[in-house]
Order: sequence, then structure tokens, then C-alpha cells
Amino acid sequence: MGFFKEIYRNRSLYTLALPGLLFLVIFAYIPMFGHLIAFKKFNATIGFWNSPWVGFKNFEFFFSSGQWLEVTWNTIFLNSLFIIFGLGLAVVMAILLNEIRLAIVKRFAQSIIFMPYFISWMVVSLMVYALLNTTDGMINQMLKSLGMDAVGWYNNANFWPSILTIVYVWKMAGYYSIIFLASITGISSDYYESARIDGATRFQQIRHITLPLIRPTIIVLALLAVGRIFYGDFAMIYGIIGDNAALFSTTDVIDTFSYRALRQLGDFGMSSSVALYQSIMGVVAIILFNWIIRKVDKDSALF
Amino acid sequence: MEQPALRKRRNLDVEYTWTGRLFTWSGYILVALFTIFCLVPFWMVLINSFAAEKEIMTNGFQLFPADFSLDAYKMLFKSNQIYSSYFVTIFVTIVGTVLAMLVTSMYAYVLAHRKVKYRNFLSFMTYLTMIFGAGLVGFYITIAIYLDLKDSIWALILPYLLNPFFAFILVAFYRSVPYELNEAATVDGASEYKIFFKIVWPISLPAISTVSLFYALTFWNDFWLSLLFIDNHKLHPLQIMLRQLISNANMKQYVAGAAMDYAQAIPTYGLQMATVCLTIGPIILLYPFVQKFFVKGITIGAVKG
Repeated sequence: MGFFKEIYRNRSLYTLALPGLLFLVIFAYIPMFGHLIAFKKFNATIGFWNSPWVGFKNFEFFFSSGQWLEVTWNTIFLNSLFIIFGLGLAVVMAILLNEIRLAIVKRFAQSIIFMPYFISWMVVSLMVYALLNTTDGMINQMLKSLGMDAVGWYNNANFWPSILTIVYVWKMAGYYSIIFLASITGISSDYYESARIDGATRFQQIRHITLPLIRPTIIVLALLAVGRIFYGDFAMIYGIIGDNAALFSTTDVIDTFSYRALRQLGDFGMSSSVALYQSIMGVVAIILFNWIIRKVDKDSALF
Repeated sequence: MEQPALRKRRNLDVEYTWTGRLFTWSGYILVALFTIFCLVPFWMVLINSFAAEKEIMTNGFQLFPADFSLDAYKMLFKSNQIYSSYFVTIFVTIVGTVLAMLVTSMYAYVLAHRKVKYRNFLSFMTYLTMIFGAGLVGFYITIAIYLDLKDSIWALILPYLLNPFFAFILVAFYRSVPYELNEAATVDGASEYKIFFKIVWPISLPAISTVSLFYALTFWNDFWLSLLFIDNHKLHPLQIMLRQLISNANMKQYVAGAAMDYAQAIPTYGLQMATVCLTIGPIILLYPFVQKFFVKGITIGAVKG
């Protein structure tokens, strides 16, 4: 059957898809041409097509400055911390919540833990600022009342991988614990009953029944995150760190670097060479991730 | 005969041994601690929005300030910026969610429809955008230069109208709708439009409402698009207003516009905290009612990967 015949026969259905299709073309596919700017000396006044080609010059600048190593490392390192501690604490919380027998307490605790997920990173940023700013922050006030010196949190980059991890756990542990809790609730109670009859303690039940049975969920969530390991959470990092250059050495990720190159330096070429590098590494990560997941659990593979 | 029964009872009592109790109680304590940890920032923001500015300046942010005042809220409500920011955020959230839902649900329906020969190709096209990003520059140039949406409220709405992830959640739902329903309606002479809007929409309302809430949250909380495309302060949504309250050197003028009495001292911290409360207020108030939809959406999404 021909292409046009199919379109004509189901024309009403294709019309329903038209707005979505237009969206994808305009906001996802046309912008992909932007990657070509990585090889051009882009000038907005003469336009995209008339701007001259410059080969790999834009890449040279990014890769020779050594900054590419720093931002790539920061992106991967911070994302790894988020995956390990975010998922880790979520598993612990889900298991502990599941042990709570009083339904009201359980539901209340779950609601509170889930609440930070709904708050924007900009709000989180102000909360962090109120806690950590040097003169009036709550943490420094507490340190002072204990007779200790105030700490210049916003001047020392070394603190920030830990701070960002704590903030991430605060915001996302509830979200992930809901997924784990759902998968724990799905475990048949027969297992626990027979384990109890055999004299297994609560701890042994968790160790030998709960954990092995939610392992696939943990692996899938971790691998999904690994597939996006080259993508920093721009809203989070830029929201909290902003333009505070004192903290860039440990917190500047590929996304924030590319954003500043564009919006502050107006360097379209470099910004887009960074973005192309990121997109390619992103695809490599996905392919790698799919390869791993195929080994672990064939049915969950993406392609 | 007696022995197995005895053994069984003893082992069921395992939870009441001291190790069992210790385990249970340390679990309770850990959950309580983490719950408090999650709650503290909310409390701090709320209570300090009512704290007197002098109190914060001398004693810093506290969990229990001694001196209260409504100055921050009074100034905020007298000013112009909070109203225009609220308007922008509400407009973007409502119009954005409605449009996004329309676009996404129609599109997902076609992806799930058996009659559509090219549905797999469309799915692949959608999926590809999740894997290979367009990158910031192309995105920026398309919207700012070619579509000329700089400093337009539509720049805050259009780029989020179709989220592939949400579309696939809906596709999974539509697939679970029995196909016989469609066949029966076709036999009765209903058009595809009619089938979609009169039959499929009503029965997929649970999924539709879940996805709409996710969209609404995205629009309400976003500051990425306004950071890129909005310079005009009249179009600043609440999230960007918050950012300005930290970074804008001329905060007084920003918040109050021309109507400001310049002799008055400005409660900087108070304004920040009060604006935070007004930004998250609607979410927190609605939270008890909408939480279950989000829980459902997250668990569906996780199962589908």
C-alpha cells in the first residue's frame, strides 16, 4: 500500500497527530541543525546559512582549555553521587516505611518525604541560601551558638559536591521511595509468612526476601540514570550555584558551561560544540547502558 | 505432635524479642529523622517570612524567631511585581497544561492506534528526541531568532507542549483500552474524531488527569525557558522573580516599580521568604488532594520504563 493511500485512508487519525508532529519538527528536529553551528563562525545578522564554515576551530577552544575535562568530570561525578545516594536512601526509606504497621503514620511520613519533589529548584536555592549564607544562615548561626566559627560555605568549592548530594537526596528520595515502595508492596506475603514460620527475623526477611526481589527495580532505575549521566541537571545546578564563579571548580557541569558560553559570552560556536560533544557522549552512554541492561535483564532492553 | 506447634508459635514471636524491637524502633526513629529533615526547610521559610527583618539581621534565620512582623507581605502586596509574576505563572500553567494535554493526548492516541500503519515510525521519531538532544544553541536560535518569540509569553508555553515521556505513559494507557470499543463505534458510523473525543477521552480520564498534573507542575516550576527568552520584567514568572530577589542589585525598584516610597527600608530577607511562600503556597495547599495522582503516575511510568 502506498504512502499517500495510507495517509488518505486514515486522514482523520493523522490530523489528530498533526499538532504533535509539528511540535516535534519545530522544537526537536529543526533545532538539531544547531549542531552544525559547532563547525561555523555564527553571525546572527547574516544568518545561519551564510555564516562561514570554520572546521573544528570551535572544538579546539573548548578542548584545549582543559575546561572540558573539568566540566565532564563534574557532570559524571555529581551524577554518580546523586544516583548512589539518591537511590540508596530511597531504598532504605521504602523498606523502613514498609515496616511501619500504623497506616496513618506510614502515610503521613510518606507524604512529607515526597513533598520536596514538588518544589522548584529556584525555591530550593533560596532555602539553601537561608541555611548556608555566611552571615545570617541558620547553620552558621547554630555553629556560632555552639562556640564555633562561621563557615564560608559559598566561598569554598570543596563543600559543594556533598551539599548538592544532600540537597538532591532531600528533593528526590521521596520520589524514588514511592517506586520502591510500590515494588515492595507487590511482593507476595506468602514469602514472608513462610520465612517467619522458619524463624527468620525481620532483618533476615529484608535481607533475603525484600532486597533480592526489588533488585530488578533498583537496577533499572540506576541504569536509566546512568544513560543520562552526561546530562547535568541544569535547573538544579544553575538554580543553586548561579553565577558564583568561586564554586565552578567542583560544580560547573556541561549544561551550565554551555549555557554561560551562549548567554554570557554570546559565543554560539563554542556553546554548540560543547552541546554536540554532550549529545554524542549521551548517545554513547545510552548504547552502553542498553548493552549492559541486555546482559542483566533482556526484557528491559530498549532496542 | 506438640512440638511443631510450639516451635511455630515461638518463631512467630520473633518480632517481640529485644532484637526485633530494637530493629523496629530504630526504623521508626530513622523515618522520623528523615521526615523532620524534609520538613525543616519548609518550616524555616514559612516562619521566617513572618519574622521581623531586624530579627533576621541580628540573629540570622532561626527555627523559632522571637519577633514577628507582616512587613514583608504588606510590601509585597503593595508592589506591582508580585501581581504580574503571579499572573504570568498562572496563565502559563493553565494555558500550557490545556494545550499540552490536547496535543499530547491526540498524538499518543494515534501512536497507540492499530489502524495507523506508520505508528511505529512515529514512535521511533518521538523516542529519538529523547536520546539525541538538539542542544542549547539550536533550540535557542530556533525560538529566539526564527520564531521571534523573545520576550513573548508563548516562549514559556510552546516548547513544552509535547513531552515524549508523558506521551508514552498515555500510549501505554490507550493500548489497554479494548479495541472492540473502537470497532463497535466505527460500525455505528462514528468518525475517528468522535470516537476519540466522545469515547476514548472520558474513559481515559484517570490517565489524562495524572498527566495533566505532571504538566501543570512542570509549567509552574519552570524557570529554564524564562531564563533563556524573557528579559522584560513584566513577563517574569514567579520563579524568575525569586531569582531576581537574590541577584538583582536594584531590588527595591524591581519589586515595587514606580509606586515605591524610597525612604522606606526594604526587608530583603523577608521579601525573599514571603515570595517563596507565595510561590509554593498553591502547590502545598493542593498537595493533599493531588498526591495520589502523582503516586499513580510515577508507578505507571516506572513499570513502563
